Amino acid sequence: MAHSIRLASERVDFSVPSDKAPPQLFTPGMVISQESGFMRGHGTYGEDDSIKASVAGIVDRVNKLVVIKPLKSRYNGEIGDVVVGRITEVQQKRWKVDTNARLDATLFLYSVNLPGGELRRRSVEDEQMMRKYLTEGDLISAEVQNINSDGSLSLHTRSLKNIKYGKLGQGMLIKVFPSLIKRQKTHFHNLPCGASIILGNNGFIWISPVINAEEEHGGFTINLEDAVPKSVREVMVRLRNSINALAASKILLFDTSIQYAYDQSKKYSVVELLNPEVMLDVAVMTQHQLQMLE
Amino acid sequence: MPSDSKRITGPETTIPYHYYLSDFSRKPDFKDPKVGERKNGRLPNEHRPVFLKTGVNSQAKGSAYLEYENTKVICSVFDPREIPNKNEFSPMGELYCEFKFAPFSCIKRRGHIRDAEEKELSFSLRRALEPAVCRHEFPNFQVDIYVYILDSDGSDLAAAITCASLALADASVPMYDLVTAVSVGICRHLQFVDPTNEEEQLCKKTASAESIDPQAVITLTYMSTLEQVSEFTISGTIGVCHLEDKIPALIKHCNAIYPLLQQCLIKNVKKSLGKKKYS
Amino acid sequence: MASVLLNDAEKTFILHGVEVDLRCDGRRRGDYRPMELETDVVSTASGSARLRLANTDILVGVKTEIDVPYPENPEEGKLEFFVDCSANATPAFEGRGGEDLANEISSRLSRAYQSLPLAPLCIVPKQACWKLYVDILILECGGNFYDAISLAVKAALFNTRVPQVTGSFLDGGSVDLEVSDDPFQCWRLDITKAPVLVTLSKIGDNCVVDPTAEEETCSVASIVVAVLDSGSLTAVIKIGEGSVHEQTLIETIKTAQKIGVELNSSLMTALNQEESLGPKRQRFGFLK
Repeated sequence: MAHSIRLASERVDFSVPSDKAPPQLFTPGMVISQESGFMRGHGTYGEDDSIKASVAGIVDRVNKLVVIKPLKSRYNGEIGDVVVGRITEVQQKRWKVDTNARLDATLFLYSVNLPGGELRRRSVEDEQMMRKYLTEGDLISAEVQNINSDGSLSLHTRSLKNIKYGKLGQGMLIKVFPSLIKRQKTHFHNLPCGASIILGNNGFIWISPVINAEEEHGGFTINLEDAVPKSVREVMVRLRNSINALAASKILLFDTSIQYAYDQSKKYSVVELLNPEVMLDVAVMTQHQLQMLE
Repeated sequence: MPSDSKRITGPETTIPYHYYLSDFSRKPDFKDPKVGERKNGRLPNEHRPVFLKTGVNSQAKGSAYLEYENTKVICSVFDPREIPNKNEFSPMGELYCEFKFAPFSCIKRRGHIRDAEEKELSFSLRRALEPAVCRHEFPNFQVDIYVYILDSDGSDLAAAITCASLALADASVPMYDLVTAVSVGICRHLQFVDPTNEEEQLCKKTASAESIDPQAVITLTYMSTLEQVSEFTISGTIGVCHLEDKIPALIKHCNAIYPLLQQCLIKNVKKSLGKKKYS
Repeated sequence: MASVLLNDAEKTFILHGVEVDLRCDGRRRGDYRPMELETDVVSTASGSARLRLANTDILVGVKTEIDVPYPENPEEGKLEFFVDCSANATPAFEGRGGEDLANEISSRLSRAYQSLPLAPLCIVPKQACWKLYVDILILECGGNFYDAISLAVKAALFNTRVPQVTGSFLDGGSVDLEVSDDPFQCWRLDITKAPVLVTLSKIGDNCVVDPTAEEETCSVASIVVAVLDSGSLTAVIKIGEGSVHEQTLIETIKTAQKIGVELNSSLMTALNQEESLGPKRQRFGFLK
């Protein structure tokens, strides 16, 4: 396939059939409830004793709290979330990180593990060296430590036992809607197909060659010399295209669904996975397999 | 140049009388051996004599004047200044190039406001010079380069690029290499290195829409020491096979002009050194 | 161009990928992403086309209006390109942000289109001619503008219908133009002389076609080649701030020419296929 020009009449509808009845959807201005005694949550506003939706989405009631969850939104962080982000600015003692949220997140200098031990004091030299550690454009994986009053997030990259946060090396970033990422115990996966994947809660997915656990924690040096071998690269690319296929059909992303999609995609070549028909087929087959599981 | 609305641009609907000359619309007859013969007995691959001079504008940081017989170009380069209307930090310095025809330089009178052709030529000029300048040495600053065509008789872009490169060198803007540019006009079996206006017109005029014969003007900009092509433009229609021998030929011509620029710069330095001795 | 922020490691990854002929989306160096084309999407335009190349979305409309020929070319019509980089595509184009890019693309396009014969657009020599306004709207940008725009423009010109107009001289030398009453009495342009542009981006020591926005940031120099059906070139443009070696230049142009010929033929196949669906085919536009 060198190039293909398709006609609009051959356009593929990516929606995957589902047995579940669609939930009730609200549009801005629609009345959710006219009874009093409810608490207004995000995505709602009150007017004349009634609660109305301010975004398009589905309703979520927790006891007395009424929330409208938009179908598509920027990332709303929660403490403990794993995120992948890109450094956009270096400031005094902090970095600004784009995490697909409304506001850029902050990563304080004291929230990172600097080379030379965890309990080291942050000196003035460290402050001056900040650009050496992380500079504009660098990608990091981090955990949400706190949510500030203005809604922006504070991150930290202090690694725990077996989870390694910090600067990311060679690999690929995919951006999907944050709502497509399924919340799980772990968002770091070494998939059996031979690639490592970080499913950021913020919708940023990082695919890289399998990370060797023995490597030094919190390193800021990235190996740019060694090329990723072609066999590993092929796995990563296939993974990327499979994830894109799932995302196009709005299927939840987690390790099992990705692994299924990867297996389903095996019958096609990597390039074919860019074709809409093939993408839909992979998505449908994966959906089917997931339903069998339930 | 900000357009001045108060300036009287003159009537726009005037037509130069040349268009009414009987010669003007006549299609060339390629069987006639006289078509393609060059003035002053110039050979097809002979460049016009080159005249170069630097330091023509005492108030600019660097300037140069270049003459290929009737093609006359003047270029001034000014001190780096902060990039206007830009907030974010740009690690590389920028070149601002302005290519302008003098109103009286062509057959048709040119307006004071830059027209589409001049804008396009400005782009080409910038692309040609950018790879040669050590832009990382003046981050967040821009160098202004103004090229004025005083008299246009073909090969304007090539002349402008060579002249601007000399002016940049005269302004002591750090550069990896000098750039030189040469044009060639191709029309059927004929070729004209460094074409004059008349020859360019011959190459641009699509004699018949069905013809598959090559008709094009090619301009190539070359950095001789680095052996790199920094800008390459074709306008017209041409097959790939013709390009294969034209590119090396053009490079040869660029290499031939290169020492002239060097000499001009060396002569300047010697001159100023000599003056110091006696003062 | 709207640039994407990438770090060195990602760039290295892309670079190595190009080296082993396996790019980040699984394509080889010479592969295009799937494109989608539809013509006749705007009812008020004489011809229109929409092309979507992955994330790049281009809408082209052609308007035909009557004008007076240029005095230097009294027997030819006029053709003009306008590119609008709307802030719809990216906020970076807001205000005058996209102006430079728009000017650059439109001037390059008109240079590449010099090969299109304009004599058929003349109605009465020296007095009246058709002027084709080709308006190009960039709705979304995902890299590789030149290729996408040129394909969309060619498709829109293919779709363009110019009304039948007869001109006659009245007494005193003034011209009377008469438009045919039958709205279906139109003629169409011959687009065999309309080029498509092929961009080859130099990444490392190799060239790739159809670069994504990410790949474009990794490349310092790209060569855009305008190729006709016949394989002749009508323009070669260098974009980007880098320079190339002579041998690379020749090789690149040769590769681009080959790809351009193929691209031309697949475009024509697609257009003919759409044509064969008949004038009453369903228009999809932005729906579905």
